Formats: sequence, structure tokens, C-alpha cells
Amino acid sequence: MALSKFEHAKITGISIVVPEKEINIYDEAEYYNNSIKKIDRIRKMVGFWKRRVADNTTTPADLAYNAAENLIKEMNLDKSTIDALVFIVQQPDVINPATAYFLHDKLGLSQNCIATDINQGCAGWIFGIHMVSQMIESGAYKKVLLLNGDTPSVGIDPANRNSAPIFGDGGCATLLEYSEDRVESFYNIETVSSGFEAIVSPFSGTRFRMDWADEKEFELLHRLIHEKITMPTGMEVPLMGGYLDGIAVFDFTIKVVPENIKATLKYAGIQQDDVNALCLHQANKQIVQAVGLAAGFEEEKIPYTAFENYGNNTMCSIPTAIACLDKGIKKDKLCCCGYGNGLVSACAILNLENTYVSEVNNFIKPSYVKTRDEYIDYWRKKIKGE
Amino acid sequence: MKKEEFLLALEDVLQMEDPLTEDQILTELDEWDSLSKMAVMAYYKKNFGIAINLNDLKDIQSVQDLIEIAGDNISD
Repeated sequence: MALSKFEHAKITGISIVVPEKEINIYDEAEYYNNSIKKIDRIRKMVGFWKRRVADNTTTPADLAYNAAENLIKEMNLDKSTIDALVFIVQQPDVINPATAYFLHDKLGLSQNCIATDINQGCAGWIFGIHMVSQMIESGAYKKVLLLNGDTPSVGIDPANRNSAPIFGDGGCATLLEYSEDRVESFYNIETVSSGFEAIVSPFSGTRFRMDWADEKEFELLHRLIHEKITMPTGMEVPLMGGYLDGIAVFDFTIKVVPENIKATLKYAGIQQDDVNALCLHQANKQIVQAVGLAAGFEEEKIPYTAFENYGNNTMCSIPTAIACLDKGIKKDKLCCCGYGNGLVSACAILNLENTYVSEVNNFIKPSYVKTRDEYIDYWRKKIKGE
Repeated sequence: MKKEEFLLALEDVLQMEDPLTEDQILTELDEWDSLSKMAVMAYYKKNFGIAINLNDLKDIQSVQDLIEIAGDNISD
């Protein structure tokens, strides 16, 4: 257990965007032997329904940028007062430098505002507000812009039913500020790194390298890209896709996450009944309900409509769930828990009373985004010095 | 919980169309997929406080196996 408590770091604003394009599972009956009954069963059990997906020129940074622009406008923020930009991302625009520098430039932030990326997945929002709260609590930074973005749906073969129906894309901007008044928040982050391989993209970084100077390597790459493997569940998936061991992850989720939540409540000195709502990472309806019930919460305090309407947009799913809460629900004691690749379970008790929370807005593509051909041409010219 | 109640609950957990019997071999059912296995794990954790291990799950072949795992939680 890694417990921590803050008294002056306040979340003052949250803004969310999701791509406009929606996929409805009832339009994908071809993958379920054209059986509406089968889809009904899946919808009831795991909540697969609608999801929002980005096109393949949109990056996590673009979604985060749009959310940040919205937040700055909606909160009437003076950009020159932002002391730090932290971008939580697992699919950066480029491997180096940190994509946060790109966002810092596009957003027109000050030279006195630091910028960095942090690589986290589904626990990324909680992880981010936890790290930023420490920056603020130290007194070194008064106002910090935390950005999250992810495009897990992009590049997944629609026929890959192990992953395709789960994921949606999203971007989120969160403003954290130093508050003279006491605002308490409590965190509990548990790291279960033995599950590193349970959710992983094994062929996405430097562990898998190719020698581009050797033509034969292209043949190998071509072969590997087309290689399909049958999982023990009978599902056929591409070797080079992201790997998700659903049952192992569920096993972790049902054993570690509820205990992580209960320990956080105990640390904060509150009971399940004191909590306004349990906003869990929207992995899927079945996981959300199983975790919430096992943590001792009443069913009506465990929302999952964000999953049904937008899909699992990984690190943006908790803010999306908060934005989807009924307007009448108080937000002075929200229990939020993110869990996923790492593996990690990160729980927080937050006071979001007086916090600005946007609607779930449609993403508007920034004018700077280039098509792939334009991008190649841009760099061709740049290198030539034109 | 009585055995009859458990069978009804299990039908709901697995979202079965046909009634289940005690001697039903689960591995013969179309419905015994990974979703159902997860649903069963969640049901046991919530209702019996039992965390079924991954290895145990692989050994479960029949409804009778599930009843045995529940121990005293299910009575005749």
C-alpha cells in the first residue's frame, strides 16, 4: 500500500472530448452470426453498446489539445499563469522528445511553465492527479494543467472481438490549483508488476527491433503482421496486436482492486455509505459492477453508463464517468479508482464540489493536424531546409 | 442458499435460455465462454466471499463442480 494525503491541491476544472464517430455494436451483427440475441446477451453481461472512435490521423495529443483549449476557454484561464503541463500518455506522437513539449508549444504556454510526459494507462488520470497534487502541495507550482489522451481503438481490426468492442478514444484536461482553504484528498496506489505481461503491446517499442537496412527484414515483418494466433478462449488475434489476457486481468481486478478501495476508505476515515458515487475506471460493465459490489458499495452508487455510451477510453474513463453523473449527485466525497496495465490499482477520495466539469464534448480536430502524406512531405521539406 | 435457488441464479449469471440441471456439463454449453467464467467469478466473490483462482477455474467442468466450490453456502 502506498497511502498519501493532500490538503491544498484542488481540482478546479475538468474538460472531456470524445471523437464524433460512434460505432454501435448492433451494427456489427456480422461478427455474432447475425444474431441479435447474442448481442443482447453480451450487452447485458458486459455492457458492450456504443463507442467513440478516432480516425487514424488523430493522436492522443490532439484529443488532449482540444480538451485543453476547451478548458482554457470555458474557465477563462490566463495561459501565462500555468506553471506546469503534465501529459499522461502511452502512445506518444514521437518517441522523443516528450509530446508535452509539442502541446506546450501549440497551447502557447509560457517559458516558465515546465512540461513532461508520464507513461501510464488505465490508471493514468488518478496517477496524474496524484503526481500533480504532490507538485502543488510542495509549493513549487500553483497551477498545473494535467492532460490525458488515448486512442486505444485506432488500428484494431474490427474482427478482433477480444479488443474491438471494448475500446473508445478520448482526451481530457484537468486543472489543479493551490488552495489556501483546506481541501482534502486521499490516495492509495498499489503496484502489481508481476502482471506486466497481462496487458501489453509487446511489439511497440525498443524490445522488438528491426534492421531497416536489411531487405529480408521486410519479409519477416510482413509475415509477422499477418500472423494470427488462437487464444485459449478460441478467439483468433493478431500476434503483433496488443495482448490482453482477459481472465488474468479480471482475476487481478476482482482480488486487488476492491481491497485497494476499502483500504483507501479506511485511510480517509469514511464508509461506503458516505461516498456520493464510486466512479471506477470503465473497463466494462461486468468488471465495474464486480469491483464495486465486492468493495461493498450499493449497486446504484456504481455508474457504468460512460462505458455503454463511449466505450472504455482508458485513462479518460473516470473523468468521463464523472461528467456522466446525474446533475443532482453531490461531489464532495467521490471515490474514484483506476486500474489496468502495469498492473496497477490507484484509488482516490476526492472533493469536486465547486469543480467545473464540462459535458462530454465532441472532438474538433485541430487545424495543425496533417494527413500522413502531408506529414511525410512536411519532413522531407524540413530536412532539405526548404 | 438452496440448490434450486443457486441453479436459477446461475441461469441468470450465464444468461441461459434453457434451464440448468445439477449434472449439466458446462464445457458442453455455448454459453460457457470467458464472459460467463468472469461472471461466475464475480458472483462467487459478491455472494459467497469466495475468490475463485484461475487454476480452479480451469478445472471446473460441471455445475456440480461449482456447487462443491461454494461449500456450505449451498445446501440441499
